[in-house]
Amino acid sequence: MKQVPEKDILLFRSCLVSVEYPGVEASTKFVFDKLGIDYSISEKQTCCTGLGHYSDVFSQLDTSAIGARNFKIARELGRPNLVMMCATCYAINKKSVKLLNKKDDLREEINQLFDENGLSHLKYEKDDLKPTENIFHVVDILYGKKDEIKDHIKYDLSDYTIATHHGCHYCKVHYEDTIGGVRDPNIIDELIEECGCKTIGWYDHKRATCGTGFRQRYSNPDLSFTATADKMNAIADEDVDILVHLCPNCHIQFDRYQHLIGEREERKFRAIHLNIAQFIALAMGGDLDKVIGQKAHTVPIDSVIKELKEVEK
Amino acid sequence: MTTQQKISDSPIDFAEQIIQDVKNSKEDGVLKCVQCGMCTSTCPAARHSDYNPREIIERVLDGDESIIEDDNIWNCFYCYTCHSVCPVGNSVCEVNQILKQFAIAHEIGYEKLYEYMGFADSYFTAAIGAIPEIFFEDIDRDVPGWWDFRQHLDEIRDELELDPPLMPPNDVIDEVSTILTITGFKDKIERIRDSQEVEQ
Repeated sequence: MKQVPEKDILLFRSCLVSVEYPGVEASTKFVFDKLGIDYSISEKQTCCTGLGHYSDVFSQLDTSAIGARNFKIARELGRPNLVMMCATCYAINKKSVKLLNKKDDLREEINQLFDENGLSHLKYEKDDLKPTENIFHVVDILYGKKDEIKDHIKYDLSDYTIATHHGCHYCKVHYEDTIGGVRDPNIIDELIEECGCKTIGWYDHKRATCGTGFRQRYSNPDLSFTATADKMNAIADEDVDILVHLCPNCHIQFDRYQHLIGEREERKFRAIHLNIAQFIALAMGGDLDKVIGQKAHTVPIDSVIKELKEVEK
Repeated sequence: MTTQQKISDSPIDFAEQIIQDVKNSKEDGVLKCVQCGMCTSTCPAARHSDYNPREIIERVLDGDESIIEDDNIWNCFYCYTCHSVCPVGNSVCEVNQILKQFAIAHEIGYEKLYEYMGFADSYFTAAIGAIPEIFFEDIDRDVPGWWDFRQHLDEIRDELELDPPLMPPNDVIDEVSTILTITGFKDKIERIRDSQEVEQ
């Protein structure tokens, strides 16, 4: 397995986490603090461009120039390990580092533009960052400290039926760096086991997309929601209580649109939706309002989790 | 004397253009395609629409440049499932993104990008990505309680004690706007907007 850092981390802010599920950020911080991870957040870092990039509005030059600026900020803070809460940010930033290191023409074009326009301080030098050594998702960091998770568990969530959804842009884009499997992804299942719970493991469509498809959700909703229905039907067939994932885009697709897709499918879907950081924070005793951020959820968390039972010591 | 090359003389030129594109991370993967169809058999867009990733590579290798005008290429989910299962290390998902950038360079598909101008504006003027407001009416119709939640976002963020605040400071916004001007992004956005607003 790749080396996973626990210090010198810049926790990379995500636009979708910030405005749709801010509790994912609060929960990540809560869990990182419990596990003694050294991280900070910077107001200078801007989002990865991902929604615009995968809507084809941002070119690779646009996205990698924005990336180069963020990478310089991380290095200047002495925090060269970028850790993403969003799978799209993870894939976008890892690709930009790969391209900036490998494609001299791209790097030189960006640096020349910076030089000619008073932005020389942002120039990216080859191998300033390394894709495998410096670019991570939160799940990687949690996996690196997974043996310590059980020491901090307060609540027993083992009575719930739990399934996992592994975001495509964590698992499939840079598959050589994915921990826990690509075709049969299991990193979230393994983290949940450290909380004293068992997931259902494999289910039909486990590795399939959430159906967001970037532009598909908004511009081609029939196609998007039909793909999501594949997954929601499979999850309902297993009578799942909690679906746990690692990306705010998947989170929106499942949590915001579960009601609509249920109407389309003429079936009542009842799972609640949690990011893995929220799940672990909840198990560690994080407050539903002050840490988990339940008010941002469309499917109420308390529709399934009605009371919390402390673990027996 | 030079003679104009016809695409049928060297269909591989189209694939070579893709290989040379900045987005391509698979070197000459596109040339290694054996048409096995693993991509199509695992593709959510192929499952639910006429999109066919295997056929995209077939047409690319045939030198069929008209593919950039084919509406079906816009059905890709960018889920990278094809990319992750390809037995020869090709990525139709990346090829698709490159084909769309070719299309955009030929001013094809501007009407599809126009809906996302709100994201471009937000990033350019506030240095933060955002779901375009043009979709808010649909979201409000489809997602019970979403609009009300958004009205209370600041209170929810305050309760979570998130710091730093949501919006980047002005010097950051200025730097980002400069970057997106010098890369040609700003001009591209204005061209897209002008083309659609004139038509309307």
